[in-house]
Amino acid sequence: MSGSRVGGLLILLAFGGAWELRAQTTARELVAKGVQAYRALEYDAAAALLRRGMAPDAAGTLSTSERSQALSYLGATELFRTQRDSAIAAFRDIVELDPRYRPDELIFPPQVTNLFQEVRRATKAVALAVPPQTELRTHTDRLTARVFSSTLANVTVTLAREDGTPVRELYRGPVADSLTVSWDGLTADGARPDDGRYLLRVAPNAPDPTGTALMARQVALDVMQQPADTLPWPAPPTLLPERTGGTPSVRPLAAGLIAAAAAVLLPSIVAHNRDATSARFAVGAAVGIAGVAGFVTNQRGRPIEANVRANTPLKEAWQRKLDDVKEENAKRRSTVRLIVRAGAQTVADRGTR
Amino acid sequence: MRPGDPVRRGFLALAVGGVFAASGVAHAQERATLTFSGSGAYVWVRDDGSAPAVQRRGPVLAGEGRVSLRGVTLAASLLEGQLQDVGSSSQRDLVEARVIVAGRPLPWLELSVGPVVRAYVADSTTERWVFWQARARVSAPIVATRLSSYFELWRALSSQVNLVTAPGRVQGGEAGVVYRPPRGTVWVRLGYRIDDAALRAVGSETLEAVTFSVGMGEW
Repeated sequence: MSGSRVGGLLILLAFGGAWELRAQTTARELVAKGVQAYRALEYDAAAALLRRGMAPDAAGTLSTSERSQALSYLGATELFRTQRDSAIAAFRDIVELDPRYRPDELIFPPQVTNLFQEVRRATKAVALAVPPQTELRTHTDRLTARVFSSTLANVTVTLAREDGTPVRELYRGPVADSLTVSWDGLTADGARPDDGRYLLRVAPNAPDPTGTALMARQVALDVMQQPADTLPWPAPPTLLPERTGGTPSVRPLAAGLIAAAAAVLLPSIVAHNRDATSARFAVGAAVGIAGVAGFVTNQRGRPIEANVRANTPLKEAWQRKLDDVKEENAKRRSTVRLIVRAGAQTVADRGTR
Repeated sequence: MRPGDPVRRGFLALAVGGVFAASGVAHAQERATLTFSGSGAYVWVRDDGSAPAVQRRGPVLAGEGRVSLRGVTLAASLLEGQLQDVGSSSQRDLVEARVIVAGRPLPWLELSVGPVVRAYVADSTTERWVFWQARARVSAPIVATRLSSYFELWRALSSQVNLVTAPGRVQGGEAGVVYRPPRGTVWVRLGYRIDDAALRAVGSETLEAVTFSVGMGEW
């Protein structure tokens, strides 16, 4: 047993003494200790600590970059432990986790980075990167997402409902290294999407002829419509009264009816009704109708023409403002604001869709 | 006017005095206001004084001018037309001229007095009436200054006629409506008029007219 292995065992024993404290040691601390062991050339201990730090039951969670870095150290550790297959497996996990990740060449020696590059070229993986939260107005703004690929691959980027119902295809074609796709907030029909959870998914177009499986990736998007902030209507102008108050008096009616009766009765009054013509009835009817019409008009009040003239420009200016506000509000309502919150990237399925 | 009729002279003096008294009560107007109107009318005349009774009818045209100053109105009018005898081919021209002096003791009441000359002109004869009238007209607004009705009665204070027997009482009246369109100085008037002269012992002579007038100025 080499000296380094003995040292690693001693460290393991030392850690074994503190076994009861393991549950309280976080994944991040285990990885940090694993890195320290790697730097101390205690590879066995480093491998054990790094694996425990990345174990599913480790307390706390590692971010993607932390996990990628931990896998880099694990791959390098396994390489130096002459466990090449384990090293390749660790590097493949890195590529599948984050195709963009590269081990730091200032930290790791060329044999490590060279092996990583070999694994990367042999591993087909894609990844999606979506901003955690995006606010966009439909039609005008866009949600942008980045698609990363470890190698040249033909992919389809789609937006679907959580139950798999397709909503819109955003891209179909090759991606060599990275690609930006965008979404204008509308469905394939040009409609606004309902509130709810959607899946932005990148998947291979067809099975790879080499038989290498390419895992589809997806990011959950919680889409929520924000009601448009519409402008309030302008306050109506203060107008002068345009009609006089109604006159409920019957005097105007009486004035008309009495004059009408007078016209009809005049022959009786002044000529003792000596075979007068019937022309008086026509005049009497006209006067009576005028009286009734005047009575009705007085009930409604009379227009005050000076006030009507003074009010006209105020009304027109207000109407113009109102039309502008209505137009602006209609525009705002047609471009709904969407709040899109992106979740973590997950594996959609294995191989092709 | 028949001389030696102190009662009628007293009536005339009272009427003229009333008009001027009324003008003093009315608001003084510094500027004279002018009113002109033109009328078209259809006239019916029934003369029971003849045997048999005669009926005539026909269209006439009339014009009137008024000038008002300091509450006193002076008006002159002329009416002229041709009347056709009903049942015969004979015609007579109707000519009537009138001058009045008027005042308004109340905004709704106009009192006036003045002479009227009316003539029925045939080919060979002219029947001429001359009488002094005292008139009282009441007007009442229906729609403020736009529409109003009026009712007028008059009675002759004295009368003369040259052909037929001497008249008894002569009186008449008129009723109608006046409309003034907004934003205008033009007004239109529709009225019915009847004048009746009782001829002593032989009947009466009645004149009826439906008048449509268009005027400018104060009504």
